[in-house]
Amino acid sequence: MKVLLSWLREHVDVPYTLEELEDRLPMLGLGIEGLERRAGDDAVLDLEVPANRGDLMSVLGVARELAAASRGSVRPPAPRVTEASEPISERTRVEVQDATLCPRFTARMIVDVRVGPSPSWLASRLEACGVRAINNIVDVSNYVMLEMGRPMHAFDYDLLRGGRLVVRPARPGEPLTTLDGVARTLDPQTLVVADTERAAGVAGVIGGGNTEISERTTRVLLEAASWDPAMIRRTSRRLGVRTESSARFERGIDTAGILAVQDRAITLMQELAGGRILRGVIDAYPRPLGAGTVDLRWASVRRLLGIDVPEAEGIAILRSLGFTVNRRGDLLHVGVPSFRRDVEREEDLVEEVARHYGYDRIPAVMPVEATAQGSVAPSLRADESVRATLVRAGLVEALTLTLTNPAALDALHLPPGHPWREMLPLRNPMVEDHTHLRTTLVPGLLTAARANATRGVTDIRLFELGRIFHGDASGVAERRRLAILMTGSTQSGTWNLPPEAVTVGFYQLKGVVEALLGELHVAGTTFSEGRATWLHPGRTAHLSAGGRVIGVLGELHPRVTDAYNLPRGVCLADLDVEALLEHAALAPRYAPVPRFPAVRRDVALVLPRAVPSADVAAVVRDAGGDLLEQVTLFDVYEGAPVPDGARSLAYALTFRASERTLAASEVEARMTAIQDALRSRLRAKIRE
Amino acid sequence: MDDLADTLSRISEAVAAALGQADTPEAVEEVRRAALGRKGTVTRLFDDLPKTLAAERPRRGRALNELRLRIEELLRTRLAEVTGADQDGRLAGDAIDVTLPGRRPHLGRLHILTQTLAEVRRIFHGMGFEIVDGPDVETDEFNFERLNMGRDHPARDAQDSFYLSDDLLLRTHTTVVDAHIMIGRTPPMRVLTTGRCYRRDAPDWKRMPVFHQVDGFMVGEAITMADLKGVLTSFALQLLGPATRTKFVPGYFPFTEPSAEMYVYFNDQWMELGGCGLFHPRVLEMAGIDPQRYTAFAFGLGVDRQVMVRYGIPDIRLFWDNDLRLLEQF
Repeated sequence: MKVLLSWLREHVDVPYTLEELEDRLPMLGLGIEGLERRAGDDAVLDLEVPANRGDLMSVLGVARELAAASRGSVRPPAPRVTEASEPISERTRVEVQDATLCPRFTARMIVDVRVGPSPSWLASRLEACGVRAINNIVDVSNYVMLEMGRPMHAFDYDLLRGGRLVVRPARPGEPLTTLDGVARTLDPQTLVVADTERAAGVAGVIGGGNTEISERTTRVLLEAASWDPAMIRRTSRRLGVRTESSARFERGIDTAGILAVQDRAITLMQELAGGRILRGVIDAYPRPLGAGTVDLRWASVRRLLGIDVPEAEGIAILRSLGFTVNRRGDLLHVGVPSFRRDVEREEDLVEEVARHYGYDRIPAVMPVEATAQGSVAPSLRADESVRATLVRAGLVEALTLTLTNPAALDALHLPPGHPWREMLPLRNPMVEDHTHLRTTLVPGLLTAARANATRGVTDIRLFELGRIFHGDASGVAERRRLAILMTGSTQSGTWNLPPEAVTVGFYQLKGVVEALLGELHVAGTTFSEGRATWLHPGRTAHLSAGGRVIGVLGELHPRVTDAYNLPRGVCLADLDVEALLEHAALAPRYAPVPRFPAVRRDVALVLPRAVPSADVAAVVRDAGGDLLEQVTLFDVYEGAPVPDGARSLAYALTFRASERTLAASEVEARMTAIQDALRSRLRAKIRE
Repeated sequence: MDDLADTLSRISEAVAAALGQADTPEAVEEVRRAALGRKGTVTRLFDDLPKTLAAERPRRGRALNELRLRIEELLRTRLAEVTGADQDGRLAGDAIDVTLPGRRPHLGRLHILTQTLAEVRRIFHGMGFEIVDGPDVETDEFNFERLNMGRDHPARDAQDSFYLSDDLLLRTHTTVVDAHIMIGRTPPMRVLTTGRCYRRDAPDWKRMPVFHQVDGFMVGEAITMADLKGVLTSFALQLLGPATRTKFVPGYFPFTEPSAEMYVYFNDQWMELGGCGLFHPRVLEMAGIDPQRYTAFAFGLGVDRQVMVRYGIPDIRLFWDNDLRLLEQF
């Protein structure tokens, strides 16, 4: 909200330079969003007003804060109304149908005015505060709104049919062209100020063009009313209109003080436009608001702030803010002024004292509460170890948005009914790209990879550990998921190295997943041939644990690669990290370090290519028994002299007993058993 | 007895003299064989050991062992001398260009926002806070009502929300986790949470509809604004360095009273870290905590903006772009 410094000075002594004000106002809770210096030591301050302080949306309200800062007082305008003998009650009447939505409605009338341009002092003040000058009548209502914070509306009395005002819900489909030139169709949710036939304005939000003040206007009916803040907020949002008026009403205005505003405005109108003020005010105020009081125990100031504020100083602060303070025994009986409806309880008063005593005078101390033991939620700890392992494996963490849209899945060729397609829609999305909650991390990483590839970054190793969402409007399940994407070189400085040795492929990705499983001590996992529409049909594996598939990894399907403009051979893994953690042992246990020497033997065999190496290893382990410590594949060979459709696999086998040195004969017996098993169970040919 | 000492020192001198003449590794090996080989002078003395008197044997054995060690040392030294020059000469032919680039492993790292969140959690953990987590999808009741923001509260304007249904929405602040955690617990409590929040903002350089917050609170019988300042100031000093200046100015949040905004002076500007205050008595009441007996401070800090200022990142959208050239700077 914009405030002119010279206007402030009219109502309060400002003992600060502009620079001091820039420091001072934020310390009072009035943030400065902008500052525009003007000629003659003047300036326009754009202030940030808290949502509960309608009173601060005025020159007078800000002046009151400045007055309290130096424990002084404000100079409110003191209009003296000279009324004609003719009473307003003979000219017009007001009917309010809902006193809850319109607790008070007042009207004054001035006749024989000459509508014309405002004097330049007034017009320039309006302009400085961002309000366009229109004519002297409208300008005065705006001027007084800026000055005293209470919006008003002026009607051309002669355009009001029936000569009176009715506050009522709009009729279904009732038309009204508002002052912003928009022809609107209203409904009964909207409260209007009407004449006897038609709506003349949307209550508290915006006036109607049909009763607008013009140069032909001679008789003015001036409305100053109070509206239910929630109703104003709803209406303003529903119509998409935010005005100076609605901004003030939705924060709540000073209902009790309305007549002072009427007087101020009507006298100023007379001063600028001449005319006669009819006698009296129409005041529909069926349930006058009682004066608010709040009891303050002075000890509460210390209890909440942690410092002793001298009581006399606190009382002075409250008084200069407009509160009345009387002592009743141990209590301070504080009368709340009608413009401060935000103050409802003791804590509110303590904040008033704190603001003006100075937040900077509250010391910073460490709590003396019993020391507590810090802790970290197990899920957060687990996520941290997953992230740390992947980082050690050389991966870079990406963050992608949780908001997405179904088109993000298009390139993946998912079958109908695939769970990723069951995205939860946002009811009120903001932009086209963000209409749903994500069900997978895969498109996010693909998009990140594309962004990098487009910029010439070709070595990409990304992972994201984040939430995905499933369910419906009655309940949403959030699950943590892990995706890994790798492409490019395994290292930098690859000169003279054969490209196939340093290019990321399926096995590098699988290695990372294996390293993760090892590091988290995930027991009982297996890799097997797998399928996903977005992965290469011959280069995809499922990861299972406890008999359930908990992830998929593989080389990206070329059609997906092409859709994302990525180089061939990008590898991706998508893992259910929660399922993985269920099988993990995050606290490792000591396993004795071997004390006796190991014996190494090799075995090489030829068998059909279609037999998975995992099957071979399983047979070897099975036949090797307890003494077989490790089975390491060290060679895979296809080509002459190995027959077509077959391949040779070579394994290094490590035998060890934990409590003695193995005898050669024991190892030989095991080797024979292994070779026999390979021959009989897999029909393998053992190479000698 | 003297006989033995004489014999041994003679052998030692003979070996030393022979080594003086030995110029090649082969010659040194010859000397070794003559002394320590199967028929060597020293070996023979060892062979004779069983024939000596039992009483003499230990002393004699010790002396012979010393001799053998001495000779081995002489041999080692000489061998190093004769091969040294020779080997270096040979190895010179195997020289590599040490200025060629190294084979550098790719180093992994966490996203700068994750790093910052972890750092924040670590600092509060160190101050005895319990670090908890909460869901992204929340109810209107917890996200707003229980934080003293009724349906038509104007403060909701600043937290325009994405709704999934009449009642479910994406949380607009992590403060909602506070409202859950307090229920059913008995103070004292000190709790911290971090996570993603959502507001209906069109993406631009300083706003994204998805962003990160840190929220914490502490409930006790004597918690004051001074404690709030103490804890948050200590946090700022630990995060940004011991010379960091902080400033607390009055603010407004429906769920705290009094309310404050916290600023730190960084890179020549006052940067807003977030909002804080004492929990409004109504918020405590709704969580089943007696506001007459307990007070609580609470704070909510923005993370993204702070990381931007801290590292000079000009556009918030860069956080979500995942450009490795940016990610790898941190």
